Amino acid sequence: MSAISIQSISKRFPNGFEALKGIDTEIQSGSFTVVLGPSGAGKSTLLRLVNGLETPTTGEVRIGGDVVDGHKLRHIRSRVAMVFQQFNLVDRLSVVTNVLTGRLAQRSWVGSVFYLFRQEDMGIARDALSRVGLTDKAWSRADKLSGGQQQRVGIARALAQQPKVILADEPVASLDPVSSEEIMTLLREICDRDGITVVVNLHQVDLARRFADRIIGMNSGKIVFDGSPEQVTQSVLRTIYQREGIEDDNSLDMALAYA
Amino acid sequence: MNLHDVTSARSPAEPLPPKPRNPAPVWAAAMLAVLWLIVRDLEISFETLVYGVADMGEYFGRYREPDFTHLSRYLELMGITLATALWGTVFALLVAFFLAPLAARNFSPNAVTYRLARETLNFMRAMPDLLLALIFVAALGLGPLPGALALGVHTAGFLGKFFAESLERVDKGVCEGVASTGANFPQMVMYAGWPSILREALGYVLYILDRNVRMASVLGLVGAGGIGLALHDTLRLFDYGQSAALILVILATILIIDYASAWLRGSLG
Repeated sequence: MSAISIQSISKRFPNGFEALKGIDTEIQSGSFTVVLGPSGAGKSTLLRLVNGLETPTTGEVRIGGDVVDGHKLRHIRSRVAMVFQQFNLVDRLSVVTNVLTGRLAQRSWVGSVFYLFRQEDMGIARDALSRVGLTDKAWSRADKLSGGQQQRVGIARALAQQPKVILADEPVASLDPVSSEEIMTLLREICDRDGITVVVNLHQVDLARRFADRIIGMNSGKIVFDGSPEQVTQSVLRTIYQREGIEDDNSLDMALAYA
Repeated sequence: MNLHDVTSARSPAEPLPPKPRNPAPVWAAAMLAVLWLIVRDLEISFETLVYGVADMGEYFGRYREPDFTHLSRYLELMGITLATALWGTVFALLVAFFLAPLAARNFSPNAVTYRLARETLNFMRAMPDLLLALIFVAALGLGPLPGALALGVHTAGFLGKFFAESLERVDKGVCEGVASTGANFPQMVMYAGWPSILREALGYVLYILDRNVRMASVLGLVGAGGIGLALHDTLRLFDYGQSAALILVILATILIIDYASAWLRGSLG
């Protein structure tokens, strides 16, 4: 069964830039997919379309049968959590409040605008925080945490949504190698244990190879590779990372030599 | 061009692209021209100012001996003025709290609401509080209430605009972070909006309070009660000693508020 179904999606921004040029793919429920590709390939746009942060110019995204559009956005977002490169936490709120943000879609505005949550929601937040190992930081302000810890709060917020899908848009791009390892392990573990479908955009080829069930390679708004990590050879990487109009790309060779 | 070639071959550097034009001198010249035209048109005479300095010195000299015999009454009047300013500020804060998110482009639910909220704030700001006070005094009678209302309406426009602009500067990522969980409009405002601008917003409120205290002192002149009315009377009676005392009380109050708000802002970090 596919959790996410992407049908002939294209996206043109108001400034004329065509970020996606006809994307068709299905993402299996409970799988761990990594999207690789150079900057500007359209990876972020693709992920943002799935959460409804962008709207497609043509085509449609379906989550478990529901089309992602303005109509049922709240309902869809409650099932599709997002983790960001810059964490995107509310700095001045406590860690636990940031995690409780994940419960907002389930609750009307009446209590939540006064920062009042049910015991049930507090329990979910507590579980999410203990999953990411930040129980002791619960009442710290979010901006007092290190980058790796902030990203773990981001993941706890996603977990608190009790989602079907977690989308992670370059979750480790701003982190050191050790924190990156932690975050990827955490995402993988969430996928394995909770059966949550995880889609991650990455820049690191080695991380993609080690953690993914499936790798999608994108270049200039198109899918140029789709297969298992074992199928990602040097020539595949050349296809994914090749740059338009550059024949002998020394930088590409050097980068891939150590990938 | 290949990046590698640029770094390896140390050929002479290419010339820089042409420098972009800087229009600042033209604007400055135009500004000076306008200022000169205004001076000429309004026949502003600097000679009058020079000759007037001596006269002004004599006039201010009459305030040399402040008369504090009625100090307790002055303080009571100042209290009324402060209360007027405080209520005006609270009213403004309430109105701005609900209108500002609607008038912030990134939070507003739709374009119509955004326009309406923005124009409402503009309208409130455009009505001078002195004029509003005159209207409210006519409608509600003399006393501090029309003053508080006038201040509230006028400064709600200011506060709302300040808040809306702060809200528009909230990091796009933070908004997306909260929005991506499925939060609705009131939840977005309470989670992504206000917490992010709390410090700035507090600064604006204190500034408006400070401004309202000064303005409330003047509003007395049109019958909106408080220390302004007393100052108006003593000035009419050419009682310079009492006028000086009243002015000193107002000044001291404003200074105290200034220090208090600086301290408050510092301690709330």
